[in-house]
Amino acid sequence: MSPTREYLYEKGFLFSAILSGSIVFLIFAFMLIMGLPLFKGNQVVALIKNDWLPARGVYGIYPMVVATLAISFFSLALAFPLSLGCAFFSGSIAPPRIARVFRKMIQIMTGIPTVIYGFVGIFLLVPIVREFTTSTSGLCIFSASLMLGIMISPTLILFFTDSLEAVPKSFLDAADALGATRVQKLLYVMVPQAKKGILAGLILALGRALGDTMVALMIAGNAARVPESLFDAARTLTAHIALVIAADYESFEFRSIFACGLVLYAFIALMVLGVRWIGMTNKR
Amino acid sequence: MNPVSHENTKIRVTDLSFFYREREVLKKVNVGFAESKITALIGPSGAGKSTFLITLNRLWESIPEARMTGKVEIKFSGMYRDIYEKSFPLPTLRRRVGMVFQTPNPLPMSIYRNVAFPLKLAGEKDRKIISQKVEEALDRAYLWDEVKDRLNEDAINLSGGQQQRLCIARALVMEPEVLLLDEPTSSLDDSAGRVIEDLILSLKEKLTILVVSHYLEQVKRLADKSIRFSEGSVIN
Repeated sequence: MSPTREYLYEKGFLFSAILSGSIVFLIFAFMLIMGLPLFKGNQVVALIKNDWLPARGVYGIYPMVVATLAISFFSLALAFPLSLGCAFFSGSIAPPRIARVFRKMIQIMTGIPTVIYGFVGIFLLVPIVREFTTSTSGLCIFSASLMLGIMISPTLILFFTDSLEAVPKSFLDAADALGATRVQKLLYVMVPQAKKGILAGLILALGRALGDTMVALMIAGNAARVPESLFDAARTLTAHIALVIAADYESFEFRSIFACGLVLYAFIALMVLGVRWIGMTNKR
Repeated sequence: MNPVSHENTKIRVTDLSFFYREREVLKKVNVGFAESKITALIGPSGAGKSTFLITLNRLWESIPEARMTGKVEIKFSGMYRDIYEKSFPLPTLRRRVGMVFQTPNPLPMSIYRNVAFPLKLAGEKDRKIISQKVEEALDRAYLWDEVKDRLNEDAINLSGGQQQRLCIARALVMEPEVLLLDEPTSSLDDSAGRVIEDLILSLKEKLTILVVSHYLEQVKRLADKSIRFSEGSVIN
């Protein structure tokens, strides 16, 4: 390769890296600038603390913050044990051939658009929830959490199986030669080694759950008030942005979506820092 | 009567063939091993020595696309048992047939917990018994004096030779009847290797020992008998 071409390629790659890296900061700057009027006075605090009562001119996003945290938390609470079980199965108990097929299926699942999950939720899950719970429409935190839990499971499973597979073979040989059963090997040798990977996967999946829009928008019910039970309808921050975006650009209502954006950004940034921190302690 | 069997035969192997994919790694091996003796398995690399060793504790079963035919019997409490029989539990076999690998492979835990690990697997709960057995095993493995004050340290902090002795202690803690050693000194320097050799010699009274070795000098020092492998067959 000629020196000029070498040079051009190098600069090209550098440009791609700078561009994609700076987007993170650009987005943050954009939201900060657009949301700047909110920081005058005590508006931002009021926005985050208040209820959403447009008729009275109160545009707080507190109900959405609560709903987002509740749905993310419950979806993770449902997905975590399920995914752990799946990963244990495919990463250690299952015969290699079955594990391979299973993994392929899970990989396909990660590629399904979230709107499909929302769709399936509306037609299959919501009617059942309506039938068997106190929820009047079936559109509620419980339905959304369940669907979202199913949606983030593949990510969790792949992350968990990867960390189980990264356990050094010498440890597995030692356990095998000492007469460990498959479950003993898994619980006493593999899981302690994979713990940090499991935690990192959890945090990433929580980030996905926090950031997902479609599932919550379609099946959480979108009521902009603080939910009191699992079977209440609720609106997440992401769904709120999607619903309010059509409002008048100058209105206070519209500005609230920047507060939503900033809160989400802060949540996700915390998650990412968490993963970094785990990665750092991993290296000792 | 099996041609390889004598009164004091501990292990008898009949028509053992081993395949990895289409390749025949062991070809109809017939051989017996005497009780309380050290037998060296010698021969060039790739002759099937290590593979042969893991047919005696069924460790090869986790290798994909491997398969085996033939029979392996080991005399436990005076009776020959086919170790591949369905009714013979794998954990029991591996407690009675210990193994030490070429590269020391302590688990990522303390010295004490490494040696106690097999006891934990076997369901031993009594702390007194555990600590007594750990001490005994470390003592038999010539390691107790060096580690008795640092039992809770991570095993990875030990030297290579100490790690290998730790692995031997861990294999001994279940009081096995057979010990399989796959080139146990090849990753160590000479003096550390010599300590391990002395240790192996001290064990043979109570144990039937099979050791894969590449060093002729070591074989002379250790073995009561040696068996040569060549291209998957045993040459007498």
